[in-house]
Amino acid sequence: MATQTVTRPKKNQTVEDKIQQLRQVYADAPQYVKTALENGLPAMLSDSSEEQASRSESAGRIGIRQGKVSELTVIAPFAPGGAKRLRAVLRLLNGNFRAGKKVGTLHNMRFVFLDNDTKFLFATAYDGEWDPYIEDFATKIPDDMDIIFSAFEGWPGIRSPKVKDWIAEHQIAADGWYVAHPDLTVAETAQMKRVGKAVDEFLDKISG
Amino acid sequence: MATLTQEKTRSDQDLTVEQKVQKLRALYADAPELGTVALEKGLADLRREMAAPPRRENAGRLGARQGQVSEFTLIFPFREGGAKRLRGLLQLTQGNFQLADKVGTVHDMRFVFLDNDTKLLFATAYDGDWDPYIEDFQSKIPDALDILLCNFEGFPGLRNPSIKDWLAKHQVSADAWYVASPKLTAAETRRLERVGQALDEFLDKIGK
Repeated sequence: MATQTVTRPKKNQTVEDKIQQLRQVYADAPQYVKTALENGLPAMLSDSSEEQASRSESAGRIGIRQGKVSELTVIAPFAPGGAKRLRAVLRLLNGNFRAGKKVGTLHNMRFVFLDNDTKFLFATAYDGEWDPYIEDFATKIPDDMDIIFSAFEGWPGIRSPKVKDWIAEHQIAADGWYVAHPDLTVAETAQMKRVGKAVDEFLDKISG
Repeated sequence: MATLTQEKTRSDQDLTVEQKVQKLRALYADAPELGTVALEKGLADLRREMAAPPRRENAGRLGARQGQVSEFTLIFPFREGGAKRLRGLLQLTQGNFQLADKVGTVHDMRFVFLDNDTKLLFATAYDGDWDPYIEDFQSKIPDALDILLCNFEGFPGLRNPSIKDWLAKHQVSADAWYVASPKLTAAETRRLERVGQALDEFLDKIGK
């Protein structure tokens, strides 16, 4: 899975080299795509030449990070009865996940039923590195984790020493990851909102 | 299917919190033990969540929304050679997606190869409703999207009138969606960042 067929671009590769490689990669694509590629090359070229070094970094054990924000994508098979239970729980919560706030490093989180309720996709955007993130879940919302994840095959329990291996085993690292504001953690965003509000109040006062 | 779910949701909403708790207990009666135990321990929190007004909203045609921020989750089957091309493209652009900045409403975006490179999971967090979001992509970065999406089976071309139906066909709506700052659009985040910088400069000046 991790073995990649295409060689990673070398550091000293010129933009021209990359264009050539992209043309090769798209050699057997439909004609309108080749046209799109030629039209799109200037923009892509500026994309990859603006910053020499790769912007994607490792999030630690598994997954990738842009700046301060990482991705976690897990797909797990349901245990018997698990899909029914989880669907009912999610329905009863009806969009309320204040547990997510408690974690403190969670930007967003989605729960998606796949393949006729046989598998489940759990995908989050979070701050920092893999290990402390999983530990945050384990220490801050252990019961919520077990209520949800006990729906899956082989879940060892959030307090089990095997839990990290279970998650890593079901995680699939993204090959591409974009974050609009890679420099902003959840905490910094909250701080920024408070500053914005205070500034607005201040401006109101001096103009009023 | 969709109407059935909605009717069930409505009937769940008429239940009292205690009735919901009873329903959860019944559901978890045959769960793995750690799930049943976690449910009892987590009930205080769950009661609060279930007593809160529903926060789940729709993003228009498909997908869930919380406040301003929506989720877009798609799984596409690769056409022949598509996985190799897309992997090559992602590697050559080295994690740079400044083109997504152009769209202006994207918070984050991930590309995950699934099932031995036969399928791709594409998941984004974005501002607002489904239709204008697709139209933003169409009008702002059509070539880049042709280059990405041509790797999937049946892609009609971004300028084709059937494109929205094709996308909808591959979308899997999340059953639950959490956003840490649901009121913050990507544009509002940029504005707040500027406010924060301006404030720092201001404080520097008066501190001198």
